Amino acid sequence: MIEMKPAVKLPTTGERRMVTGDYAAAWGAMVSRPQVVAAYPITPQTMIIEHLAEFLAAGKFDAEMMRVESEHSAMSAVIAAEATGVRAYTATSSQGLALMHEPLFVSPPMHLPIVMSVVNRTVASPLGIWVEHNDTMPQRDTGWMQIYVEDGQEALDMVLQGYKVAEQPLVELPMMIGMDAFLVSHTIESVDLISQEDADAFLPPYKPVHAYLDPQRPMVVGAAAPPEYIQEVRWETDLRMRRAAEFLEETDREFGRKFGRTYGGMIETYRLEDADVALMTLGTVTSTAREVVDRLRAQGERVGLIKLRSFRPFPAERLQDATAHLKAFGVYDRAVSYGVGGPSYIEARNALYDTTTMPILSFLAGLGGRDVTPQDVELMFKKTLAAAGRGRRASGVHWIGTRGVSP
Amino acid sequence: MAAQALAVAASHDGYSAIAFPFFGAERRGAPVLAFTRFGEERLRVRTQVYEPHFVVVLDESLVETVDVLAGLRPGGMVIVNTTRAPDRLVLSKKAKSATVDATTIALKHTKQAAVNTAMLGAFAKATGLITLEGVEAGIMEVFGRRLSKEIADRNVAAARAAYEATRLGEGDSGRVYAKATKWLPTAQELPPGLATPPMETPFGRVGVGSSPSNLTGGWRVNKPVLDGAECTNCLLCWFYCPDGSITRGEKIVEIHYEYCKGCGICAAVCAPKAIHMEREIEEEVKA
Amino acid sequence: MTTVKDLPREDYFLSGHTACPGCGGAMVVREVMKVLGPNTVVYMPASCLLIFSDMYPYNAFKVPSLQILFETSAIAAAGVKRALKRLGKDDTTVVAFAGDGGTADIGMQALSGAAERNEDILYVCYDNEAYMNTGIQRSGTTPFGAWTTTTPLGSTSEGQGKNEFKKDVPRILMAHDVPYVATASLGFPADFLKKVDKAKAKKGFRYLHVLAPCPVGWRAESDSTVDLAKLAVETGIFTLLEYEDGVLTLNREPRFTPVREYLKLQGRFKHLSEGQIASIERWVKDKWERDRALAKALGPKPKVPVAIVR
Repeated sequence: MIEMKPAVKLPTTGERRMVTGDYAAAWGAMVSRPQVVAAYPITPQTMIIEHLAEFLAAGKFDAEMMRVESEHSAMSAVIAAEATGVRAYTATSSQGLALMHEPLFVSPPMHLPIVMSVVNRTVASPLGIWVEHNDTMPQRDTGWMQIYVEDGQEALDMVLQGYKVAEQPLVELPMMIGMDAFLVSHTIESVDLISQEDADAFLPPYKPVHAYLDPQRPMVVGAAAPPEYIQEVRWETDLRMRRAAEFLEETDREFGRKFGRTYGGMIETYRLEDADVALMTLGTVTSTAREVVDRLRAQGERVGLIKLRSFRPFPAERLQDATAHLKAFGVYDRAVSYGVGGPSYIEARNALYDTTTMPILSFLAGLGGRDVTPQDVELMFKKTLAAAGRGRRASGVHWIGTRGVSP
Repeated sequence: MAAQALAVAASHDGYSAIAFPFFGAERRGAPVLAFTRFGEERLRVRTQVYEPHFVVVLDESLVETVDVLAGLRPGGMVIVNTTRAPDRLVLSKKAKSATVDATTIALKHTKQAAVNTAMLGAFAKATGLITLEGVEAGIMEVFGRRLSKEIADRNVAAARAAYEATRLGEGDSGRVYAKATKWLPTAQELPPGLATPPMETPFGRVGVGSSPSNLTGGWRVNKPVLDGAECTNCLLCWFYCPDGSITRGEKIVEIHYEYCKGCGICAAVCAPKAIHMEREIEEEVKA
Repeated sequence: MTTVKDLPREDYFLSGHTACPGCGGAMVVREVMKVLGPNTVVYMPASCLLIFSDMYPYNAFKVPSLQILFETSAIAAAGVKRALKRLGKDDTTVVAFAGDGGTADIGMQALSGAAERNEDILYVCYDNEAYMNTGIQRSGTTPFGAWTTTTPLGSTSEGQGKNEFKKDVPRILMAHDVPYVATASLGFPADFLKKVDKAKAKKGFRYLHVLAPCPVGWRAESDSTVDLAKLAVETGIFTLLEYEDGVLTLNREPRFTPVREYLKLQGRFKHLSEGQIASIERWVKDKWERDRALAKALGPKPKVPVAIVR
């Protein structure tokens, strides 16, 4: 006979319901009150825009909804809307994000704080619809902030937090919020659907400070520029990305005070304080990894976990502090930079170069949407434990669960 | 293209050479910058030339606003397209000079005011570093490939004529230039995202509606002249002028020259032939 | 306000822009802006127009302007308009000025999408019949036989100028059944201004295709812009038409001046063989037969009210 106790009650401010991650993201978008939404359907993002269209049709939501003919146009439409001076939202995935690559570069230098949910999915070839981070990771240098979430609640909460950070006059950068295909987008779970009233109290209406289109107060928005001006624009955009870090931390704390949930800002740590080695994960693998940490801890292994939430800005200082006491560090990625290793592994090694000589290992698993099992994660910990104390030479790239390839 | 032709010429004459334009928004007739380096050894520096041995000025009106001798090396030379004698040039400092009326030569040989090939001939004569044969090779290579042999031939003829007509001397100092001419704000001063309302700067207006800061009248070779007695005030010239250089008066139109690029459309559309185009000589260029 | 004399003195596209002497595109933009007036937002794609009117820190428009990308004219203008609507500024005209490459080729997808959704914008294509900004490369609207830098001359069949005929963009827009599609030529000011007026007054998607000769790219004299624009119409090569609420009107019966008169003014056609000229003549004839038949089929008819709720 299996005995069960009711689950722990989670903090709830709105209506708690069993919904998909896509529904949660759509809800987050709705209560953020964007005035223009432009989107193009792609699996597994479709439900986000379907739900927004339903909210609109039911009169719960009021916005210009542009059902455009491509993702390129979706991104261009929200750029134009933000440039005019309103809040705008879009969502996409995979090939859609790849098609947006060109317009992605436009909004960061122009101070246009768009928020976009991206359901992380494989980019062809081979064509696949399952989770992989090789759609968002290559957008690293476009100037967008990049956040990875773990579940539907975080997908919702980050849309609200996202606008709050993005619209800071000292930041004014767009943000993409990555959520794993199916594992978040289509997974039903209990989500606190924040009320419009609470959302309004947290996120005030958008007032453009630096860029808008108004015949009464005319302004050139977007120009061609000779070399005399562009480098200064690059520097200033870089500065805002650096500044965004403190606003990400502060906004998460403020969100916590209001809604009773926080996410640790740019990184969240789990049982890290007295750990000898740790693994850094992002996305849904984090949830599985928490279980594995508990299991290994029960066996006497001093292991801990870091959840990477912000890929841009990259939390270099926080990572340096968090890993200072470690003897080895493993970094999990669901994307590969061919010939080098995982993208967040590359970033982590760069960030920790000044502060550590411990081995840093790259783990690649779950590519193309393959399940990452507790056994896979355990193997990552075991390899990291084995490298402990062996210095930088023990670093390396490990393909976990690849047939014919020893990890 | 002339900078490239000069590099080909130098290469033809046995030098190592390299040429590149400053890639900007070149429009026909607009001021442009191009650089050529040539020497006896392999050239590695790929920057703009800041301290030239020779400065070639294709449009004399530029010397009104640009200190073309800034950076000229001691003993260097300026070569100018002008009707003036070389001794009558007044620039920021004394310098060896060469002059040639390349516009007249170009109009005669190529039927266009594209003076760059004629100035190559002047360069060959003035410097003695490049042969006329080298210049011809450069023109045939660069222009013949892109346009046609016939056009290249005409340009070679222009270069030859300019070679013969170039005079040498020494220009005088005395012309004073403003220290800076361009608005170059710091990264902190620059409007965020370059989103710029109408803004006054020490160098004139920028942002919305600021193009009048940019006087395009210097591009002109020929200028329109109105015979008020013939004007019927039909306004077609006012309507068509792409540069907004014609205004409506009470009874007749008025032509302004600050922005007129001399396209000649006003004269072409004028039914009573009240506007004609005439060659503008340097003294009349308005800054 | 349909005649030259009635146009305001005020310019909203200002002097000091750096278009080449005799630029047809600059003329189109200047005149359209005179009609549209101060309550306007302009979108410019990467194009000659952008470079000659919006090279930082200078800008030639008196009204707000936006630039993002090359292929985004229709969608960016639509995004601006939707946002203005939300801001209570539905009375502001949003106009996109794009060249033929940005319209007929790379911008076609966004253009078609915006037309199909009947976005409330005015789209003006200034057609100079090649990618002039990048240095005279052939586009979808480059005419048959024309020399460009990517259809250079040579001894093979690939060296006779462009081997294909001009893409008929207005007809593509007509297929979207938008409220207004018109062609115009700088050579016919009254017709041109009337169409800008109409386009300004209407709601929904409006498309204006204006032939804008480019002296540099067409290898013509800088003072020939207007003559070329006239001759293009009078030879029958460029048709003045209007498609308004489902009714197609051919606005001018040309004199059918021999096409040679038009071709000979342009260096880009200098190499044409007799056979190529005959092909152009045949193309003009076929086009007029087709357009007349279309105008007959799409003539005035009893109107069926269609409600568009937004």
